Amino acid sequence: MTWDVALILGIDGLANGAVYLLAGLGLVLIFSVTRVVFVPFGDIAAFAALTLAAFETGRVPPTIAMVGALAVVAVAVEVTSLSRRGEFARIPKAVLQWGALPAVPCLLAWLAARPGVPAAVQVAVSVLLVVPLAPLLARIVFQPIADASVLVLLIVSLALHFLLSGLGLLFFGPEGSRTQPLATGTLMLGEGFPVSGQIILMVASAIVLSGLFFLVFERTVVGKALRATAVNRVGARLVGIRPARTALLAYGCASLLAGLIGVLIAPVTTMYYDSGFIIGLKAFVAAIIGGLVSYPMTALGALAVGVVESFASFWSGALKDVIVFSLLIPVLMLRSFMSAHAEEDEEEVDQ
Amino acid sequence: MSAARRPRTPQLAIGGLALAIALAPLLLGSFSVSLLNDIGIGSLVALGLVLLTGVGGATSFGQAAFVGIAAYATAWLTTTQGVSPWLGLLFALLLTGVSALLIGMLTLRLGGHFLPLSTIAWGLSIAMLFGNVDALGRHNGLSNVPALTLGSWSLADPRAIYYLIWVIVGLAFLFSHNLLRSRPGRAIRSLRGGATLLASVGADAYRVRLSLFVTAALFAAFAGWLYAHMNRFVSPSPFDVRASIEYLLMAVAGGLGQLVGALVGAAVVLMLKNGLQDVLPMLTKNAGQLEAVAFAALFILLLHFARGGLMGFVRRWAPGLLAPAVPDAAPSAVPPLPRRQLPTPGTPILSVQGAVKRFGGLVAVNEVSFDVNAGEIVGLIGPNGAGKSTMFNLLTCTAAMTAGRVRFLGRDITGLPQREVARLGLARTFQHVKLRPQMSLLDNVALGAHARTRAGLLKAGLGLDAAEERQIFQEAQRQLARIGLADRAFELAGSLPLGTQRILEIARALAADPVLLVLDEPAAGLRRKEKQALGELLRKLRDEGVTILIVEHDMDFVMKLVDRLVVMNFGAKLVEGAPAAVRADARVQAAYLGGTA
Amino acid sequence: MKTLIRCAVAVAVSAVFVASTLAADLKVGLSVSLSGPNSSIGIPYSKGMQAALAYKGEVGGRKIQLIVLDDGSDPTAAGRNARKLVEEEKVDVLMGTSGAPSAVAIAQVGREAKTPMIGLTPLSFSAADNPWVVTVAQPTQLMVDAVIERMKRNGVKTVGYIGFSDVWGDLVYDAMMKAAPAAGIKVVSNERYARADASVTGQVLKIVALRPDAVMTGGAGTPGALPFLALAERGYKGGVYGQHGLINPDFVRVAGASAQGSLMPTGPVIVAEQLPADYPTKKIALDFRSAYQKVNNAPTSDAFSAYAFDGWLVFLDAAARALPKAEAGTPEFRVALRDAIFTSKDVVGTHGVYTFKPGNLYGVDERARVIVKLDNGQWKLAP
Repeated sequence: MTWDVALILGIDGLANGAVYLLAGLGLVLIFSVTRVVFVPFGDIAAFAALTLAAFETGRVPPTIAMVGALAVVAVAVEVTSLSRRGEFARIPKAVLQWGALPAVPCLLAWLAARPGVPAAVQVAVSVLLVVPLAPLLARIVFQPIADASVLVLLIVSLALHFLLSGLGLLFFGPEGSRTQPLATGTLMLGEGFPVSGQIILMVASAIVLSGLFFLVFERTVVGKALRATAVNRVGARLVGIRPARTALLAYGCASLLAGLIGVLIAPVTTMYYDSGFIIGLKAFVAAIIGGLVSYPMTALGALAVGVVESFASFWSGALKDVIVFSLLIPVLMLRSFMSAHAEEDEEEVDQ
Repeated sequence: MSAARRPRTPQLAIGGLALAIALAPLLLGSFSVSLLNDIGIGSLVALGLVLLTGVGGATSFGQAAFVGIAAYATAWLTTTQGVSPWLGLLFALLLTGVSALLIGMLTLRLGGHFLPLSTIAWGLSIAMLFGNVDALGRHNGLSNVPALTLGSWSLADPRAIYYLIWVIVGLAFLFSHNLLRSRPGRAIRSLRGGATLLASVGADAYRVRLSLFVTAALFAAFAGWLYAHMNRFVSPSPFDVRASIEYLLMAVAGGLGQLVGALVGAAVVLMLKNGLQDVLPMLTKNAGQLEAVAFAALFILLLHFARGGLMGFVRRWAPGLLAPAVPDAAPSAVPPLPRRQLPTPGTPILSVQGAVKRFGGLVAVNEVSFDVNAGEIVGLIGPNGAGKSTMFNLLTCTAAMTAGRVRFLGRDITGLPQREVARLGLARTFQHVKLRPQMSLLDNVALGAHARTRAGLLKAGLGLDAAEERQIFQEAQRQLARIGLADRAFELAGSLPLGTQRILEIARALAADPVLLVLDEPAAGLRRKEKQALGELLRKLRDEGVTILIVEHDMDFVMKLVDRLVVMNFGAKLVEGAPAAVRADARVQAAYLGGTA
Repeated sequence: MKTLIRCAVAVAVSAVFVASTLAADLKVGLSVSLSGPNSSIGIPYSKGMQAALAYKGEVGGRKIQLIVLDDGSDPTAAGRNARKLVEEEKVDVLMGTSGAPSAVAIAQVGREAKTPMIGLTPLSFSAADNPWVVTVAQPTQLMVDAVIERMKRNGVKTVGYIGFSDVWGDLVYDAMMKAAPAAGIKVVSNERYARADASVTGQVLKIVALRPDAVMTGGAGTPGALPFLALAERGYKGGVYGQHGLINPDFVRVAGASAQGSLMPTGPVIVAEQLPADYPTKKIALDFRSAYQKVNNAPTSDAFSAYAFDGWLVFLDAAARALPKAEAGTPEFRVALRDAIFTSKDVVGTHGVYTFKPGNLYGVDERARVIVKLDNGQWKLAP
């Protein structure tokens, strides 16, 4: 292990850590507002990446069919629940919101699948196309059980992940893809250290997006509303915030984040239909280190996981994950010891 | 009281199920029997999860790792050392138990979300290790594991090992059923109520959780041993995190609230997968890829309609089927539990000397000293922010003192953990009632007697604690009678109004046979009539010889009740004396009213 | 009159009944990974088997029924599938699967149910353990020997290894360790990575630091492209060799320019058009291609589907010889089928010419391998 090797490993680790950071932020965002550990986050990122790969090989991305089908189901579910409550007047708006709105990115994607469309447009459309996914899934799968216990929500989330990766296998096939780099060129860091532009883009995006997160959550009213819903749902309703609406906003933001992650890592990582699982798992680790509430600790945790993973793979490629997860346990013990442990009653089991 | 004879529906159902299970191999084809074998093995692991996660509140994503440790242990021992598979069982149980103990000691103190993540961490690490160890065949695994033999009868055939599997499943369910109805079971069922609740009855939540964790791991070990000798081949991949997730799915699908949910869940998941494998190829060409999608969709739909799993569904629509059996006649009398020798009235039993509590720069309790003598009711009062609650936590050892000492029955208890103090005879209630809503009144009160008996987990599961249990329930019944709730012993505690819940907590505290009963704002939130009833109860208890220290806000209630008052203000003791004298004291009036009248 | 009609109907019905029991269908049970990590191999197996069924769906006047089950890359499910196939469907022969542990699970069930199994992957147990199994795959040693021989020809003295941390990676590494010393080549590293890994920077840095003359990779499918990409990124100039697990159009797509000029061994079916006219497998390979194209509406471009086709051919040949001896669907037939498989002689398949002997899992020789070079996205024969 020489210094230059350590530097390369460190940069590689930071690049991976940047991805886990963004994914971790998304997970913490959704959990803090809805108490759902959104495992399918990684799957949405994978879909964005595979959509872009489909564009580049000249195919119409199957994601359009997925979004379309989900939109239809969501409209059906919303209309049924409105009819049951007798609020027929709100049906046209619901159809517009749940049917027409997701159709817009689908149309854009269909148009962008034609030859001659510039790469930048394809990238943007790939991201836009997956944005409706999380809110639609939330409406169909999570809203009916929004007041269930955290464990049931987690189990449903896991089942949803299996469903999405199964659909991914069906639509995208078992083989992986890489896309063209978004940023070409290299930066020289001292004597002979090329750092690819793609990696710089990833790290820079992570910094910018975390900064944006911080600003939105601390300084804007919308951000504060999101935080309020997280802290106390009933209290938020009492001051006029609608939890269902803030939840949708959170899911939409998370979806956007997932899409960005997908197109950022697709050039440097081969993306498969099941790549979402491992991204989600590492992001989950980072999120838990942050206690599922603290963004700065989540960021630290993510970067730590990325760097440790990189160095562990140098030490033993086969045992890399064993090392990372074994080291996690003392970190958790430290973290648990440090966090002021207020005695919380566990929720009772759903009956 | 004599209730009408309840129809024995649960017993009939269980009997019918047992009969069906016994007859199945004679009626079904060989593959169906194999499927039932898989269901049996899965239900063992799921049972551990129902206990650990459903009852104990600790989500575990690592049960498959324990299955793997046991499977590999017996496979290695029987293939490389040529030893009998029955010795392999002992080895597997030992290895899994020790691993669970070590892992539990490391991680079970983690709170909140850290615990489930730690289970992913070790679950993943252990599963990956299997594939990297040469002695365990690396990724090829170990094959030609010998079949089980009972004397000269080989259990290689699915129909033969079927009976062994289902006998073990039956015994495991019986063990769990006995366990949950016993003394350690009450502690386990109170884990979700918080560590403070358990400490107040003298139990250590960490140790209860650890023993539960090891029990769940041992159930998984049985499953692993059976798996190895049924399939006669072990490889790393059936023991990874995805398998653990599948076991969790089984437990949740069946229902985490009922033991039988484990069996139902395993059956639902495995039969659904099998059914989809048969049906989908008839509908589509892409059957292989659609199986996972269809299964996940159906699973999510199930949880939408029954978030308590299938058994939760049954419980809602046929509650009689799952209601716990209520005995028809009162049980015969047994010798009562030994009681403590109460100190002579007038001797000091609690002595606080110079208690100080600082939170950073804020001094919440400042050099407070007072005594409580046997046979009296002492009230600790003061305006808002006086530091009463903090003082309460200090003398029950729920919080640590910055300086000062507390003596209880002549012993210095400063710095002792709360459960030790509880065992010495100091029983308390809580400001926010900590009852177990899903347990009956009798069970809640019986929890209070936790420290008075000693039956452990093994003894309870094997049903050897019957005599002790009868004594405990007799005691609990006595306490319920004392507070006037004897005829409602089998109702669920969650159905009581707040005032009655408060009184029930006092019964639980009394079941511990305390020397000193410490009450934390028992009158808060009660209506006038409820307060009257409470006051009468407390006076009755004092007359029976129980010493009471009551921290209270309500001056009116307290004045008519106590023998002596200690008044606090701004963290310091203001005045101490008889109620009339305290009421007339000018400083007390100034503290409450803001100035001399 | 009525009774006459009734008699005629009875006779007709019983004739059909008797005829169908007389000419019982043959049943082939296939368990593959249509989902899960091994699906990139399992799905081509399934497609190849469908092509084979379309190519020749009957033998000795009997129709053949193919039952395909998905085992999701899980050995427990593979074992369960095998039990379902032998106990419920009563298949005459088992075939499968992708992933050695799953294959072992199926083979064990086959042995207990006394049903022959034709494996499609290299198997890692000894023939003595299980006298009911053969496989149409080439022994890994055969393929790696060709690589070592080519390396020796190219003057390689030291080679680094990077492969999967699973059975496949172990098989390739072990084969290499057996062949390299005899050829005077030293293996300087044994790096591993998991299929799901996104980066092998650490492992590749270690290899590059040792500066070997060549690097051998032990991956399969698209994850196998990762070392190629990483080595190219580090500017490694030596030759990067692969093996037959990488023969896959998606590998070519993902590896792109980084695999240009790579040499790897494979069955001759991949370069069927480039084979000399008298090569024994050329004709059947081209037949396979057209059958595949017809059934799957796409040209074949990987080696895995061809293994399934070969398995079918071996089965057809053996069934033709076993049918006169016993009735299909009976235990006696399965024994006869097993014996016939083990006396297969010179069955020409797409990958090689198969001759099975009792006590040996494999049945191919050097005719089952050629060295190909990846040139501008196409595999070219490199003799």
